[in-house]
Order: sequence, then C-alpha cells, then structure tokens
Amino acid sequence: MASSSGAEEASLDDYASLIATTDVELLKRAWRNEKAAPEILRYEYRLISRVKEQIQLMEETVEEKSSVGNDPLSVSLYQMDLDRTQFLLRSYLRIRIQKIEKYMFHILKTEELWSRLSKDEKDFASACTSDLNQHLEVTVLSKLPENYQSVLKQSITSEEDDMVPEPQLDTFVLCRSKEYLTGIQLEDGPADDRSKLFEMEPGVLHFICYRSIKALVESGKIDLL
Amino acid sequence: MYGKTACQLVKEFASGDKGQLVSFNSDLFQQVVAECSQHLLELQSLIRKMEEERLDIQTVRNADYYGALIHHLTLVRNKRCLMAYVYNRAEIIRNLLWKIGHVLPQEIEEKLSHAEGEYFKKHSAALKYYMSKVMVDLTVDMIPPKDPYIKVRVLDDIGDGILLSDDKTANFACHSMHLLKRTDAEQFISRGQMEELSG
Repeated sequence: MASSSGAEEASLDDYASLIATTDVELLKRAWRNEKAAPEILRYEYRLISRVKEQIQLMEETVEEKSSVGNDPLSVSLYQMDLDRTQFLLRSYLRIRIQKIEKYMFHILKTEELWSRLSKDEKDFASACTSDLNQHLEVTVLSKLPENYQSVLKQSITSEEDDMVPEPQLDTFVLCRSKEYLTGIQLEDGPADDRSKLFEMEPGVLHFICYRSIKALVESGKIDLL
Repeated sequence: MYGKTACQLVKEFASGDKGQLVSFNSDLFQQVVAECSQHLLELQSLIRKMEEERLDIQTVRNADYYGALIHHLTLVRNKRCLMAYVYNRAEIIRNLLWKIGHVLPQEIEEKLSHAEGEYFKKHSAALKYYMSKVMVDLTVDMIPPKDPYIKVRVLDDIGDGILLSDDKTANFACHSMHLLKRTDAEQFISRGQMEELSG
C-alpha cells in the first residue's frame, strides 16, 4: 500500500521504521509465518479488517483517478500496488483454508487450534467436516461392522482417537529472531543434546525444528521465512 | 493372506500419478468390504466358542483368543486401507477445486464415484459460501503478480464484444495476441481459452 503523505516528509530513518510497521508489511509477515508454519496460526483479525478497508480505499482512489484519465502512469502504479496487496490477502486466507481442509478433524477436536480460526473459518470448517464425514460414512463406514464405524477411532477398543491426521510439528523451518532470545529448549536431536539451551541473535537465520520454537512464533518473537 | 486385497487397493492409489485420479475401483473396494464381514463372522464364532467353553475372554489366552485377535486386527487394517483410499481421493478432489474450478470437465467427472461427485458439489458450495462471507475470491490470483498487464494468446474463438474491466471491449479472435489486465485474463486462462506468453 502507498505510504501516507506524512511519511514522505519525515526523515529517512523514521520512514524505514514506519514502512516496517505498515499494515501491508504486517500482512506480509503474517502471510510468511502462515505459509511456513505446519499448523494453523492465530487469525489476524484486526489486521485483516484494516487491510480490507485499505483495499477498498485504494480501489476507490484508482477508480477516481482513472475516471479523470489524465495520469495513466500513476493509475497503473496504484493498480499494481493494489494487486499486490490483494494477492497477499487472498493468499493468506487461501493458505489457512487449505490447512483447514487438510487437518479439519484435528482442528475441530483441538480446543486451542479451534480458537485460532475466524468466525467464517469456523463455519467453513464445520461444513467441511460434516461433508467429509458424510462422504466417508456413505462410502466406507456404513458398510463395516458396527464396532468399526467411527471416523476418529479404528475400532471401539481404541482408547483415544487414532485415525486423525495431524500436522507434522517436527518439520524444519527457516526462521529469524527480532531480539536476543535465550533458553530455547531443542526438542530434537540426541537425548544428551536436548538439555543444552539454545540462544538466538537478532537477525541471524536459523534452520530449526518447528516444535522447539512453536511458542515463540505464536508470541510473535520469531518470524518464519 | 489376510488384508492383501486392501493392500492392493491402496497400492493402486499410491502408484498413480500424484494429484491425478483414476476411476474409483469399486470391484476391489467391494471385495475388501466383503472380507470385512467375513472376518467379523469368524471373529464372532471364535468368541462364541470361548463363551460356550465358559472361558473368560478378558484373561484367557488360548489359540481361539489369538485367532479372534488376528481377525480383529485384519478388520482394523482393512478399515484403515479403505479409509485411506477414500480419504486421499477426497483430498485430490478438493485440490481439483483449486486447480480447475467449481465445474469439473467430463473426463474427470467420469472417474468419480457417485458419492465423490456429491462430495465435490458440497465442498464447492461450502467454499463458495465462505468466499461470499469474507467477500474475497480465493480462486483467482494463484501466483504473485509481477505486472498488472500480461501478454496472452487466444486459443479458442471467444468472440468479440467482451467487456473488460476498463469499460473497453475487445475482439478475442482465435490465435490473436493481446496485452490484458491480469485480472481480466485469469478467468480465460483457467478455462483453457487463453495462454500466457512468458518473456
């Protein structure tokens, strides 16, 4: 999104820090995190509603400018800016929807993940789950013996749900910290290495097991790439 | 060998091209379902035999117990295979929505079972409902935009008088080339009526 006119008057330093905290940069960050994380992250409710408002504003600006029609170059620049922001928004929502499609049973039964969805996503997830449930029911489960008809369990003798696909949290991700972090417990590797605590300098790239930094990604201290 | 048919079913799926569907193998599928019923019958008869001999099923570990256990495990394994087959096909079907759109071409639709066709329609409706709620169309803009305009070649005779978003009309005769707004061209490209010319 174009910078506000205030930013153009400010000094270069202020400008850089201002740019880094514009909603588009924040959206880009949220999008990158969502894209790289194996599980679904918290829905950026406020940010998304702000971005939507700004997109609408931009659309109005583009329309206004193109109807005047004396400055096609700036119109096309505005249009490009708008297209890019819209791509980010669409892609962000799309990645989330695809994660919901993939892990719907797991999300639906895990309180913590369920609370991370927006209201519309919750509606989608419920509809999605009941559709797939029904499909599996009609195609497979109704034809099996009574004790083997659960979607979540292999048979009634299973004590817990053992047929639910879950995201692989042990996968490796690229990440970068914004501040100096210490005391990160590694959750993979040989057992005697695990007691060692790991530290991160700001701005240094790390290739690390997602499970180890899960909490730090959720609290926004680490960005995924 | 127990569980072999189910294994064949899963193997058939796994050896297919990734993301491609083959016809739903209802023959093999029915065979596995029939096997399941057979296993249940044998499982029940073994349990009944133990009960008649007044043995405690919870504690006695004799040949009949282990026989019943094998039937149970085979049943569970068959169930997993059947579920994996249907579940993974459902996943491909959902991905078709993203790749092709809400209307499936004839040659793909033929490969779906009746229930799968129904599932596709329902899932498509759920997705459409979500998109109407958030007022964002998620099926366009699949690749990040570089330039608002792209060069395309028309592959099909789309005709003239197509209204573009800038209120101009264009004549898309077959094989003609155009410089279009990406958002205008995308719908034609996904329907296979245009191709993007790179570079």
